Amino acid sequence: MTRTIIAAAIVLLWAGMGADPCGAQTLAGSVSSAEEGAMEGVLVSAQRAGSPITVTVVSDERGRFRFPDGRLPSGDYALRIRAIGYELDSPRSIELGANLGAAPAEIAVRLRKSADLAAELTNTEWFMSMPGTAEQKRPLIECMSCHSFERIVRSTYNAEAFFPVLKRMAQYANNSIAERVQSRRAEREVNDDFVRKLAGYLASVNLSKGPVWDYELQTLPRPRGRATRVVITEYGLPRQTIAPHDVRTDAAGKVWYSDFVENVLGELDPKTGALREYAVPLLKPDFPTGALDLEADAGGNLWLAMMFQTGLARFDMAAKTFRIFPIDGMPNDDAMQQSMVAPGASNIDGKVWTNDVARQSIMRLDLETGRYERIDPFKLLPKGHVHAPYGMATDAANNLYFMDFGDENIGRIDAKTGATTIYPTPTPKSRPRRTMLDGQGRLWFTEFAANKLAMFDTSEEKFTEWPAPAPHTYPYDVFADRNGELWSGGMASDRVLRFEPASGRSVEYLLPRPTNIRRVFVDNSTNPVTFWAGNNHGAEILRVEPLD
Amino acid sequence: MTFDRVWPRAALFALSMLAACGPVRAGGVGFGDEINSPGDEGPAYFGFVREVGGPGIADAKVTATLKGGGALVTRTDIMGVYKLPGLGLDINPNDVTISCAKDGYAEATVERRPPGDAKDPIETECYLQKK
Repeated sequence: MTRTIIAAAIVLLWAGMGADPCGAQTLAGSVSSAEEGAMEGVLVSAQRAGSPITVTVVSDERGRFRFPDGRLPSGDYALRIRAIGYELDSPRSIELGANLGAAPAEIAVRLRKSADLAAELTNTEWFMSMPGTAEQKRPLIECMSCHSFERIVRSTYNAEAFFPVLKRMAQYANNSIAERVQSRRAEREVNDDFVRKLAGYLASVNLSKGPVWDYELQTLPRPRGRATRVVITEYGLPRQTIAPHDVRTDAAGKVWYSDFVENVLGELDPKTGALREYAVPLLKPDFPTGALDLEADAGGNLWLAMMFQTGLARFDMAAKTFRIFPIDGMPNDDAMQQSMVAPGASNIDGKVWTNDVARQSIMRLDLETGRYERIDPFKLLPKGHVHAPYGMATDAANNLYFMDFGDENIGRIDAKTGATTIYPTPTPKSRPRRTMLDGQGRLWFTEFAANKLAMFDTSEEKFTEWPAPAPHTYPYDVFADRNGELWSGGMASDRVLRFEPASGRSVEYLLPRPTNIRRVFVDNSTNPVTFWAGNNHGAEILRVEPLD
Repeated sequence: MTFDRVWPRAALFALSMLAACGPVRAGGVGFGDEINSPGDEGPAYFGFVREVGGPGIADAKVTATLKGGGALVTRTDIMGVYKLPGLGLDINPNDVTISCAKDGYAEATVERRPPGDAKDPIETECYLQKK
């Protein structure tokens, strides 16, 4: 069954948001504190009054910073900084004139020790700080999907009080954020013994025993050297309930994102800041809304897996309309959930891959009939194990590669025979998450729970793994750029990782705000390449431009 | 205990587990979902990949192919040893074939040692001949 649904397009033009094509006087200066003198690795951010766009640069080894020419239109700017353990003393604002030829406005940024170090910690730093075994901490990697650890460690629940809280949260849909919680319609089974153990552990690291933590807060070092040579642009979105999940650019340079909470597809013009939103048709009004996987087919049209709304949506990039492919050919019950879609090679055989999260199975849509078929890729594995087909990629023949996010496997399904091959990763319990297949048949992916980046050579059928440079970063996704460098991000460290697999050389770019990164994307058309991602809990799109 | 005596019990156990758990898990992976049910695995598969009359071969591909479709693939370690996890209890180990491959070699022989018990890991040695 097919039908065409005209999407409601909402055009949002932010007042004063357009970039000034002529540029203006730029901003430069120094950063220092009484404690350190000149400070390297301080993020200095400038946001023009009324604009959702914030530009950030980082101070160098002499404590100097300079915004790129033409990036800051004339106007009044609010300034902010990020440097662990410090807060901005002065100045807090600056007015930039319209004279492009003028010397840069020069400011001396002064920092002072911050009063509340705990408020500045990333999830990674909480992981480092909290006492406990790896086994005790491991379940917390799930918490980051909806909120930061600060919410946990500042709570005063004892173990008994934590138990019902955890039981309640387990019934929330994946697509929940603090600003909008969504409940599942189908009840989720939870192991009470496990929850009691977790409640006991959380009560041992929060403020249930007193007003301060009885362990030392550990922090990561500030950026140095190469990590300071970057420009970061934040595009604030107009509602805190917008949760950008997957972000990608199109051939025209527009930025598209899926919204994990609201039922919309977003389009951002990074040049003007104009934002358009396309309402995805609501199929199940009382069910959680929002989508995560956003993929392009060979024709450049975008596809969404519709999560608890179920089925798939194709967005025609020319007509700007959706065509919905509802579940057909099998029951569409309360537990049905499609999180992933792989339309990349659907032009080969007219088939689009997706998944059924609740039944741990792969599904495949026949574009001609509109019917789905189900494939159980784990039928040869023990039944008591938890599996979760997650990140997907297709090769030129539309054979599917998928991540088993619940366990430790990569899977391949032959498009013609349906035969499944399972490849256990060298690291046990690695929980492979998102993936991309490059032009050389290399499947790049993250081993989320193992804190590793990995590659599976599909012709050699062979794995290579690289530990993430920092502990507890739990990479969500990875993108191999045109130079063979890997770009990754996640929900823990507020950093973007750039990694050369050949040399092991890496750099991590600290981001200006707490940032929950999911899908990452690299625009290879710029020089150097440009990194894009969404801040899933921060209602913003991020652009990271390395200067080398 | 022989395989013939154990297998029907194992199959019955697997069916009862399926009936108790139901086919649907409502939604993704959350905390506690990494807990696997114990005792629902068939025997694991392990062994060496060796050169005929020679040492173990590192980084050789080892495939466990299931009759009727499906396969599990791993590689040998530096000593030429491989291990594949147990498959589902509903998989008859006699329907699983072990094979091995490595560039520059041809498969010579595969020797499967009968397990002492149906729960015991199944040892299969795979010999490769240089081309």
